[in-house]
Amino acid sequence: MTTDPNIPDPDGFYAAWIGAHESLTETQSADFNARLILLLANQCGDQVVLIECIEAARTSGAPGHHPHQN
Amino acid sequence: MGARTVSHQKKQEHVSTETFKFAPPYQLPSWPFVTPPDIGSGGIARHPIVIVGAGPAGLTLACDLALRGVRAVLLDEDDTVGVRGASSRGICYAQKTLEIFERLGIYQRLVDKGITWSLGRTFSGDEEVYQFNLKTDSVSVQPPFINLQQFYVEWFLVDRIIELDRTDLRWKSSVKRVTPLDNGVRIEVETPAGCYTIDADHLIDATGANSPIRTQLGLEAHPSRSTDRWCISDVRFKKPLPTERWTWVDAPFNEGRAVWQHLMGDGVWRIDYQMPEDCDTSLISRPEVAGARLREQLGPGVEFEFVWIGPYSYRDHLLDSFRHGRVLFIGDSAHVVSPFGARGGNSGIQDAANLGWKLALVTQGNADATLLDTYDVERRPAAAENLQVTSRSARFMAPRSPAEQTLRRAVIALASRYSFARGFVNTGRMSVANEYPAAPHLPDGSRSVQNLPLRYADGRATTLMQLFGDFDKGAESTQFLALWLEPTHAQALAATVALAAFPVKLIAVGGASGLPTLLADQALKKQLGLDGGATLCLLRPDAYRAATFHAPTPAGLASAMHTACVFPRTTST
Repeated sequence: MTTDPNIPDPDGFYAAWIGAHESLTETQSADFNARLILLLANQCGDQVVLIECIEAARTSGAPGHHPHQN
Repeated sequence: MGARTVSHQKKQEHVSTETFKFAPPYQLPSWPFVTPPDIGSGGIARHPIVIVGAGPAGLTLACDLALRGVRAVLLDEDDTVGVRGASSRGICYAQKTLEIFERLGIYQRLVDKGITWSLGRTFSGDEEVYQFNLKTDSVSVQPPFINLQQFYVEWFLVDRIIELDRTDLRWKSSVKRVTPLDNGVRIEVETPAGCYTIDADHLIDATGANSPIRTQLGLEAHPSRSTDRWCISDVRFKKPLPTERWTWVDAPFNEGRAVWQHLMGDGVWRIDYQMPEDCDTSLISRPEVAGARLREQLGPGVEFEFVWIGPYSYRDHLLDSFRHGRVLFIGDSAHVVSPFGARGGNSGIQDAANLGWKLALVTQGNADATLLDTYDVERRPAAAENLQVTSRSARFMAPRSPAEQTLRRAVIALASRYSFARGFVNTGRMSVANEYPAAPHLPDGSRSVQNLPLRYADGRATTLMQLFGDFDKGAESTQFLALWLEPTHAQALAATVALAAFPVKLIAVGGASGLPTLLADQALKKQLGLDGGATLCLLRPDAYRAATFHAPTPAGLASAMHTACVFPRTTST
């Protein structure tokens, strides 16, 4: 799993990402993010990295918001 | 697609005022109860093998053993085939199962009566999102799948068992109690003519999901029950449709829930509707409710008649061990999985084929009883794999939370547009011949070899399955096959001498060795694992690979047979 900066223009990507969420309802946003994750996961295509990413995302949430966090 | 009426809104079950016809019930065969000699004899007879339960697994085992010249007693509480008449149960028979049925001699009857298919399509709403053609990877004489009502398969097996005349079929014989003994099992049987007791060297429990034997022995099967609800309509109608397996993840004509559509024998379609979890199961299976559902799918003006309607839910369980001393569990008594992918009945039949040759070698004195442990070593991981695969399908078909709904919507939205996402659409992963993990008796693990069409060097046609019977004396032996790429005459002679004590037949693939010789063929080499430098494949009686060799030697082959048969005794190697 790459955790060093790897995206050439982080601000540009972030702007595009939030731009895509504009005028979406909460449900539509969740749907959009889920589609985006699938597309990105297929770019990666490395099972071990994908599982590591799931784990990293799971354990990076703010404490208190995730009662099941270890 | 069958449906054009789009109705995504939730609604109460629709009740039709239309009158729906039922087809006349099937006339199923029944076999006579014969008072066994044990009643009133005063003694307790001992039998090498007693099988309890004449479902697909128990019947396959009895038939397999009979073909190998092994006698068995088969007890069944009923005197006919099917459960509750011509009702539900399994309909899809997978390639490995069909190859087993070819060896048992009932395959042609399945072909004649059943529906051969290989193409599956998956729809979301009105759109096709995914299809598979199982024919693509198949080199077998048998097709990927044949659909047929389960009672026909049981019927053909009973007919074949009677024809082979080596099985003591005892109908209307219900097992009341089993008692493990030091060197066998005591069985108390209740019949219309009274009760009796018999002993068995080995008892095989094929009594199904609700096994009273498993319960009586207090064996934990770790059951879990799904809240997902379904309703089957078996129906005959005149609308012509391709003989393909169609599944809807979210059918517009079923309020956005899943539907299965599959043709079986006698022109009967199995249409299986996912229902709301909180549905009233007696209401949804009423003819006027099921009929209204079907009418919405088919549109007006399509004539149909019901053959059977029935609601069900599914559950699963898995025994910790499939062998408990002299008691062995096969089929649903050992493992139950959700129905997605036809992995229940097929794995039960394949359990029986795995156990059959081992019981035959042990009973005929050609292997030690420890060979029977390998049944559990191989088939329990297979069942665990099937449980994992079917549980994942069940989870895709019935998401458990709004978040899971969201992820599934993402998969479906992408699937119709991008091929990569189709791999996530999981309406069932069809039954395969499970690979076996490496174990002391199987150092490299094992995979099944498909039933290839083959030719002998002299031009005679055969198949891999037929090879197992081609050299049997009276078709009563159980043999491994050692298939050898172009051995020399001297190699063949030395190996024949070294293997004389083992149940194995040497066969050459090409060359001039004096052995029975097959024409070399690329597909055969690939299936046997002889396309990467290996020159000999040792094939087990169940058509699973036991080992491959790069440089076979007489001692090496004898040692491999020793390992594969779990021979503890000294042999002339």
